[in-house]
Amino acid sequence: MAVYKRGYRRYDGPLTGRWARFMVLPRYAWRRLYQQRLVLLLTMAAFVWPLLCAAFVYLTNHTELLQGMDKDFKEFIQVDGRFFSIFMYVQGGFAVFLAALAGPSLIAPDLANNALPLYFSRPLTRWTYALARLTVLVGMLSVVTWVPGLVLFGLQVGLAGGGWLRAHWTLGAGMLIGFLLWLLILSLVAIASSAYVKWRFVAAAVSLAFFFILAGVAEMIDEVLRVNWGHAIDPAWTVNQVWCVLLGVDVPPYPSLAASATTLAVTVLLLALVIERKLRPVEIVS
Amino acid sequence: MNGTPVIELDGLKVRLGRREILHGITCRLGVSGTGKAIGLLGPNGAGKSTLILTLLGFLRPSAGRASILGVDCRHSSGDARSRIGYMPENDAFIGDMTAVAFVRQMAELSGLPPEAALEKAHQVLFHVGLGEARYRQLRTYSLGMKQMAKLAQAIVHGPELVVLDEPTNGLDPAARRRMLKLIAEMKNEQGMNVLVCSHLLRDIEQVCDEAVILKDGAIVQQCNLEDERRSNRSFVELEVTGDDSGLRAALPGIGAEGVPDGHGRWRIVLPPGVGVDAIWALTGRQNLLVRKLTHRRDTLEEIFLKAMGHLAHTPGEAAGNA
Repeated sequence: MAVYKRGYRRYDGPLTGRWARFMVLPRYAWRRLYQQRLVLLLTMAAFVWPLLCAAFVYLTNHTELLQGMDKDFKEFIQVDGRFFSIFMYVQGGFAVFLAALAGPSLIAPDLANNALPLYFSRPLTRWTYALARLTVLVGMLSVVTWVPGLVLFGLQVGLAGGGWLRAHWTLGAGMLIGFLLWLLILSLVAIASSAYVKWRFVAAAVSLAFFFILAGVAEMIDEVLRVNWGHAIDPAWTVNQVWCVLLGVDVPPYPSLAASATTLAVTVLLLALVIERKLRPVEIVS
Repeated sequence: MNGTPVIELDGLKVRLGRREILHGITCRLGVSGTGKAIGLLGPNGAGKSTLILTLLGFLRPSAGRASILGVDCRHSSGDARSRIGYMPENDAFIGDMTAVAFVRQMAELSGLPPEAALEKAHQVLFHVGLGEARYRQLRTYSLGMKQMAKLAQAIVHGPELVVLDEPTNGLDPAARRRMLKLIAEMKNEQGMNVLVCSHLLRDIEQVCDEAVILKDGAIVQQCNLEDERRSNRSFVELEVTGDDSGLRAALPGIGAEGVPDGHGRWRIVLPPGVGVDAIWALTGRQNLLVRKLTHRRDTLEEIFLKAMGHLAHTPGEAAGNA
């Protein structure tokens, strides 16, 4: 029978579980995000570098193709921590722009259209909502960061054998942890700026400005005050330090690792605080 | 869970900032599963919306407790919310979604499987009269259509209690009638309990079985409208020209009570057995020229006027007692 011929009847069937309900917001959000042409284009562009890296991995494992090349050059092209750190810089950069593009469209429209009371009048808490939005971004950014990273790692293991895996397994783990840390920071910045500003395009600008302005301010502090701790306030710099440690490459000496870790933790807490303050179903004016 | 009150408040106090909005409210409203409507009435700033937001778990009580369908609103807010549907007063939607996608998403968030949610979304949109417009984006809807979409998302999952905050706000007369008809159907045909928050007496009187009147954050009146309807009082809206300063004192002479609204306008409650001809006679004796006289049977107007302190006593009550 056609739906319009059936009268409305209360639903009395089975209900889905908590996990299925949690995934409703990410499912709808991903569908809407990938309908945006710019998001799709940027995601596709982000696969170019992993493909080039895959070609590089293939080349390093087929030395017969490098016959006639300089010996120094052969030693230079190695799949090691440096290789994965360069891969991470490029993909991490793409992730910044993707987060700025996609993040604000997740929360700003809900705030602008006053949709939060509708969500929170259902069995969905503020933290579940924020976590669901975080899942959307982390999931989306994962596609262009640690997923291709681990594919590259797997390709290298497949070509180089188990011996290489035993000697370099920390690279895979380090890349995964490093990327997840970066995605957490990026997603929190995007969500917090979106919750704070409400206007989608301004939120995107704030999200980008957060990284570029803090990098500029850090540089100015170092130059003007002639100190070496300025970069502690630059999240990109401090995350880079963590990446270097995880991948076993040369770590920038300043600021100290402890200072970087502390500022990262404080940044995460502050962003969580902004989200906690702003994601409320009703605004209370004291 | 028959016999469980729909809403139970026990010494409920709510503060917003330093201001106490609700001052220790205690009451039991409705009975779960009976399909009755409860009206929440009061002037602006009485605390109606604050009470609703507290019931939804959006605001935390500073003292006392509130429960919906036997579930504590603060400590088990998830359980409470899974059994209710909420239609907020203000615009609330996701602009770049079609009505079907919006209502389906809300149904899935309430726990309906995706296929069932889609089917119910179509059904409920036809039910509220948005069937033909269900594939349009919500931002293109008129105010009345948005109200209906909000109602659709509130009932799509078949909740036991539907909370409607000012449901007829901004609706034209035809849309208002349709909204009230839908509310009546929800309780009569679907067996849902409904909590209607409004400042419009006519709306509450038309669809509710029970009413609570709030004033300055406290309950000033709680009544069963079914019983009140049997008392057969009627209400007159009168507009006169001339010196009406003696009218208030003269009204008790015919057993009526009245409140001047200024500029010759009066709201008068007539006791059972007193007809409108008594008003004509009285205005004649007072040398007043009647410009407008509207007469209707009424239950809530008198209760509301008394609750607000405008009427000293119920007209006809003394005579009845005597």
